[in-house]
Amino acid sequence: MHTEHIKYFLMDYITGHLDEYDRDQVRLHLRQCSECQNHYNELKAAYDALQHSQKVSPSSAYYSTILPRVQKRLMGHRDSLWSDRKFTPRFIFPLAVSALFLILLIRIPSDSSSEHEQTDALFQAVKDYSADEVVQAVSNEYASSNVLSNQEVVSEGIAEHLQGDHFIREALLKQIEGDEIVDMDIDGVLSGLNREQAEQLLSELSEREML
Amino acid sequence: MGVSNDLELVESFQKGNEASFNELVRRYQEKVYWIAHRFVNDHDQADDIVQEVFLKVYRALNDFRGESGVYTWLYRITVNVSLNTIRKQRIKDFLRIDEFFDYPSEESEQPDKQYEQSEQKQLIEEAIQRLPEKQKAVFILRYYEELPYEDISKILKTSVGGLKANYFHAVKKIGEFVNRAHRAH
Repeated sequence: MHTEHIKYFLMDYITGHLDEYDRDQVRLHLRQCSECQNHYNELKAAYDALQHSQKVSPSSAYYSTILPRVQKRLMGHRDSLWSDRKFTPRFIFPLAVSALFLILLIRIPSDSSSEHEQTDALFQAVKDYSADEVVQAVSNEYASSNVLSNQEVVSEGIAEHLQGDHFIREALLKQIEGDEIVDMDIDGVLSGLNREQAEQLLSELSEREML
Repeated sequence: MGVSNDLELVESFQKGNEASFNELVRRYQEKVYWIAHRFVNDHDQADDIVQEVFLKVYRALNDFRGESGVYTWLYRITVNVSLNTIRKQRIKDFLRIDEFFDYPSEESEQPDKQYEQSEQKQLIEEAIQRLPEKQKAVFILRYYEELPYEDISKILKTSVGGLKANYFHAVKKIGEFVNRAHRAH
C-alpha cells in the first residue's frame, strides 16, 4: 500500500478497527515511511486528546420527556400540519428589524439582466438547499413590499453563510480556476459567478445535500 | 408487544399501530440525542433536534419502503436536521436577531450542571465544532458512533474512500487545533 492510501487507515489502526491483515500492512508500512509515521504521531496525539471528550449524559429522566413532548407536538400539528401559518406573528417584529438592518448593510446590486440570471441560480440554491426559515421569512414578508427583493436578502444571507463553510469554499475554488482568488472573499466570488458556474455550484450543493 | 425488529415496527405503524412509532422513539432517542449533541454541543439545541427528527420520522413513516435500514434512514434525518440547525444558527448570527428570539425552553431536564467541562474537553469540543460540515458528520458517526464505513456511506451518500479521507482530515484538524491552543497558552 502507498502513503496516500495508508494514511487513511491510520485512525482505524489507532482505534483498533482494522482487521489483522490491514493492521499488519499498516504496521509494516509505518516502519519504513517517515511521512506516515508523522501522520501517525499527529493522529495518535489527537486521539489521546479526544479521550478527554467523554460523554456526560443527561439524566435518564430527560429521555422520559421526549416521547410525551413529541406526541404533544404531533397532536398540536395535526389540525394545522402543513398549513400556511408557518411563521407566527411573534416572528414579524424581529424580522422587520432584521430586514431594516439588512437594508442598511446591503449593497444594492445593479439591475442588469445577466446579474439577475446569476442571482436567480444562487437564490434557488438557497431556497432548495439551505432551507433557512429565517431568510425565507424575511424574503416572503418584505419582497412584496419592494423594500428588499428576495434575491438581495437571500444572496447576501447565503454569501455570509458560505463564508464560514470551508467545504463550499473549496468547492467554489475548485470550480473557478486561478490561484489569485484564493484570498478573495466568498461574497465577491459569488457575485462574480456566471450562469454556468452558478449551476455548478448548485450541483456541488446537491452533492452535499444528504437527504 | 413482543420484541420486534425495526422494519416490523415500521410495517406495524403503516398498518395503523401508532404504538410502533412510540417504540421507535424509545429505541432511538438516546442515539439521536447524542448525535445531535455532538453536532451542536448544546443540550437545548440537541433537544430541539431530537423533537424535530421524530416529528419528521412520524410524518415520513408511511412512505418508508425499506430501501435502506431504518436506523440508516433515521441517522440520515438526524444528520440533516443537525446540519440545518447549524446553518440556521449561522444565518441568525448573521442577521443578529438572536436577542429578539428569546424562546422559552419547554419543560425538560436541564443538565447544565452536569456539563462542567475541563479546559481540555472544551478545546476538543471547540475543535469539533469548527470542522467543516461533512468532516464533522463523518467524524461523529465514525469516531463516536463507531458505525461501519458502509453504513456511513449510505447515511451521507458518500463513497467509502471519501469517508476515510474526511475522517483522516477531521482528526488531523482537531489535533492541530488543540496543539495551536496549547502553544498559545
